[in-house]
Amino acid sequence: MIEFKKDGPFSEKADQLFPDRVRIIGLGQTGVAACDQMVMHGRPSQDIWVFDSDQQTIESSVVPNRHLLGRDLVHGLGCAGDMDLAREIVALEESQLVNVVEGCDFLILILGLAGSTGVALAEHLIQLGRKTGAKVIVAGVQPFAFEGWARREKSIQATASLRQEADSVLVLSQDRIVENPAASKNVRLGFHLMHQLLAQTAQALAQIVCKRGLIQLSFADVRSLYGRYIGSEVLENCWVAHVEGDIHDSTEDLIQQLLACPMLSDESIWKHVDHAIVAVNGTRNLGLSDVQEMVGALKDHIPVNIPIATSASLDEESHDKVRMTVLLAMTTPALEPLVEEVPDKQHSPKSVKPIAKTTALPEVEARLEPPMTDKSKPTRSLPAPRKSKPAPAVVENHAMAETDPLPVPEVEIPRSTSVTTQPGQRFIAKQEEMQFEGPTRGRFEKTHETMYRGENLDQPTFRRRRLTIRL
Amino acid sequence: MFWGKTRNIVVALEVGSTKVAAAVGEIRPDGTLALLGIGEGSSGQVRKCEIVDFEVAQGCIRDALAEAERKTDVVVAEVYLTITGAHIRSSNTRVTTVINHDGDEITQEHLQELHDMATAQPLPADHAIVHHLLQHYVLDDGSTTDNPVGLASKQLTAHFHQVYGLATRLQTTIRCVKELSIDVKNYALSSYATAQAVLSRNQKQLGAIVINLGGGVSDYIAYQKGAVVHTGILGVGGDHLTNDIVSGLKIPYAKAEQLKKTEGSVILNPAEKDDRITLPGAYNFEERQIYRESLNTIMQARQAEIFEIILEDLQNASFWPDFAGTVYVTGGASQVNGLLELASQIFPCPVELAHQFPFDGDQNYGRRPDLSTLLGLLHYARQAELEVPATRGFARVGQSLRRALASMRLI
Repeated sequence: MIEFKKDGPFSEKADQLFPDRVRIIGLGQTGVAACDQMVMHGRPSQDIWVFDSDQQTIESSVVPNRHLLGRDLVHGLGCAGDMDLAREIVALEESQLVNVVEGCDFLILILGLAGSTGVALAEHLIQLGRKTGAKVIVAGVQPFAFEGWARREKSIQATASLRQEADSVLVLSQDRIVENPAASKNVRLGFHLMHQLLAQTAQALAQIVCKRGLIQLSFADVRSLYGRYIGSEVLENCWVAHVEGDIHDSTEDLIQQLLACPMLSDESIWKHVDHAIVAVNGTRNLGLSDVQEMVGALKDHIPVNIPIATSASLDEESHDKVRMTVLLAMTTPALEPLVEEVPDKQHSPKSVKPIAKTTALPEVEARLEPPMTDKSKPTRSLPAPRKSKPAPAVVENHAMAETDPLPVPEVEIPRSTSVTTQPGQRFIAKQEEMQFEGPTRGRFEKTHETMYRGENLDQPTFRRRRLTIRL
Repeated sequence: MFWGKTRNIVVALEVGSTKVAAAVGEIRPDGTLALLGIGEGSSGQVRKCEIVDFEVAQGCIRDALAEAERKTDVVVAEVYLTITGAHIRSSNTRVTTVINHDGDEITQEHLQELHDMATAQPLPADHAIVHHLLQHYVLDDGSTTDNPVGLASKQLTAHFHQVYGLATRLQTTIRCVKELSIDVKNYALSSYATAQAVLSRNQKQLGAIVINLGGGVSDYIAYQKGAVVHTGILGVGGDHLTNDIVSGLKIPYAKAEQLKKTEGSVILNPAEKDDRITLPGAYNFEERQIYRESLNTIMQARQAEIFEIILEDLQNASFWPDFAGTVYVTGGASQVNGLLELASQIFPCPVELAHQFPFDGDQNYGRRPDLSTLLGLLHYARQAELEVPATRGFARVGQSLRRALASMRLI
C-alpha cells in the first residue's frame, strides 16, 4: 500500500517547527459569545479559552475550556459593571490565571470594552503576558451609543488602559451594525452579527501571527497597524469584513459579498481607513493565483487606494471553502468623528458635540480632505506615531512613499469620537491612572484573608455592597 | 527570704492588634483582687490578633511588661495570656460514663474520667485544645446539675464546650512571651476572659452574650444557665473600619483612625447629608473636606456587617431559640458613636454596653472598655490561683527560687 506523506504546511514537521502557540481567550459576556461562534463555525484545532464571572454565560458556552471566575465572591452572578468588584475577582483568581498564559507566544483577547470582568481580566492577562514574553493582541468592541454615557465612558477608559499595556488593540464599534437591516429589526441578531465579526477578527489575527501559510505576515504587521495609539484620543480603529464561499465561486461575487458586510456599509469609513490586511484561508486547492485574483478584485472595488497586506494559509478542514477576512485600520487620527454621538441630556449635552466641526480649521480641512469621489490615496492628516511602537508596516512601498511627505500643520488634534471637550478647548489625550494590580487589602495585606460566604471581609464593605461614597 | 511571706501577684498579658497591655494584680489573703497597675504600648506587626512579625511583636510585649514593672514595682516572672484569632473554633460535645460503684454513687473519679474522655476526643488536624469548659452534668433521669458528686445515677453525661485552635498559631504567641524569659502560667480565650470582667454569676444564669469588639477581631461568647454555650471569633474589628475609611476617603491611616474616633458614627443621619468635616492640613497632607455622610456610610456598612455576621452565627447555634438574655457590647471598638443604637437595630434582644466590675486599687482603668479583656483575665487568674492548692514546704521554696531567678532573667 502506498502511503502519502504530508508535506508543506500540513506536514508534521511543520507542526514541530512552527507550533501553534496562539491562544484565543474570550473575556466577559462578549468574549464568550464570540468564542462560541468560533467553536461553532471556526476551526476546531484552535486553542480557545473563555472566562467570565457570570455562571449563566459560562454554562451556556460551547467552548470546552470555560472558566467561571469569582464564584466565592459574586456567586456566579457577574459583576454588573462594577470594575472594583471585577478587579477583586481577578485578584482572587490570580493564582489560577497564571496558567492561562503559560506556553503561549501570542494571546488574542476578545472582550466588550464596556464590560467589567473582561476588562479587568484583560488588564491582568496583559501583565502576565508581558512577564512571560507573550505578545498580546486585544480585540475589543465599543458599546452601542444608545447604551448610554456611563458605558461609553467605561469603554473609553478601558481602551486607554488596554492600549497602555497591550501590544495591539483593535477597537470595533457596534454602532457600525446599527444600520444593518437584519440587526435593526432584531437586537439579538445585531449582537450575534457583532460576535461573528469578533470571532472572524480573532481567527484572522490567529492566522496572521501563526507562522504557517502560503503568504506570511507576522505579528509586526498587526502591531504596526493597531499598536500605534496610546490613550483614547482615537477609539474606533478597526473595521472587519468577512466572506466565506466555495472555491469555485466567482471572485467578483465573493468581493461583492465582502463589501456588503455590515461594517463596510457606511461609506464614511473609507475617509479614515489607511491600511488593510487581508487574510485568506482555503483548502489545498487554493493557489497563489486565486489569492492574487481576490486581492486584486478587492483593490478594484474599494473606494480608496490603500496599502493591502495579504496573508494566505491553507486549512485541511476547509473542504473546498475559502474564507476571506479584511481588517481595515486607521493608523492616524481622523479630523471628523467616526461615530455620531447620541446626546445624553443628563450628562452635559454640550460635551458630546463633535468637536471637529467646531474647530476652526477650514483651510486645513480643505487641504487634507480629498473628496470621496477621488480614488486617489487617502491623505494622512496628522501623524501621531507612538515613540515606543514601530511605524506602520511597509507593505506596499510605493504607497507609503507617497503618503509620507505630507506637511504637518500646527493645529490642535481633535479627538475623533466621544469627545467631551468644549469648542476652542485644547484637546488633551485622556490617560487616566488605572489600577493594574488587584485591589490591595491595605493593613491586612500580610494576614490570612477573612472569608465569609465567599466574600473577602478584608475588602471594604461599602465596596462589596457597592455603596456610593461622595468624595 | 524566698520562703518568707510573699505577695500573690498575678499578671495578665494581652497581645492585641492595637495595643499590648499587661495588668498586674494582687490577690489578697481574703481572696479579693487589687489592681496594681497596667503597662501598655501600641502593638506592631500584630494583625487580627496574630503575630505577623515575631521580633517586632516581641519588642512591644517587652515594652509593655517593662512599663508594668516600672509602674507597680513588681518583677514579672509569669503571666496569664489571652488567646484569640480567627483560627480558633469551638464546639459543644458530650461524654458519658457508666457508674459502677457501690450504690451508683458518683465520685470525683467519675468526673475526672469524664474530663479525660472529653480531652481525648479527636480534634481537627494540627489543632490544639484551648479550653474544655464544663457546661453541666446530666444524670440518668435527665436532670442536670453542676456538681453530681454524691448523687446516685446509673450513668453520667458531661456536656463540654471545647475551644481549639491551630497549634502553630497558638504556639507562636506563647513562644513570643516565653522567649522573654517570662513563663506563661496559663492562657484563656479572649472572650471568656472578657466575660469574667463584665458578667456576674446572675447574668450568666439568666443568659448573656458578650461581644468584645477589638481592633483586629470581634469575639463573642454566649452564656445560658450559667454555662458557656457558644463562642466565636470573627477576624474583623475596629481596624477594618479604619481601613475602610482609608480606602473610601483616600486619607492616611492615622487621619482615618482619628476621624473614626472623633467624628465618625455608625448611624446615618439624613440631616447631616451635606455636612462636611474639615481635615486639618499637615506638612505632608493638604487640608481637605470630606462629607460626613461618606464617613458614616463607610463605618455603618462595616459595623452593621460585623453585627449581622455575629447574629447569623448565634442564630445558627442550638441555644438561640431559648435565649432570652441580653447582649453586652464592650471592647475598644465599642466606643464608636452610635454603636449601641446600631446594635439595638440588628439584635432582636436587649443590647447594653458592658460595665466592668470594680477593682480595688488603681481606678484609672476601670472604665475603659478596651481593657475589659485584660481585666477579665485578671479575674480568671485570680480564680485559677484560688482553685490551685497553695504550695507549701519545698515546693514553695522552689517556687520562690524560681521567681528570684526569673527576676534576674536567669531563666
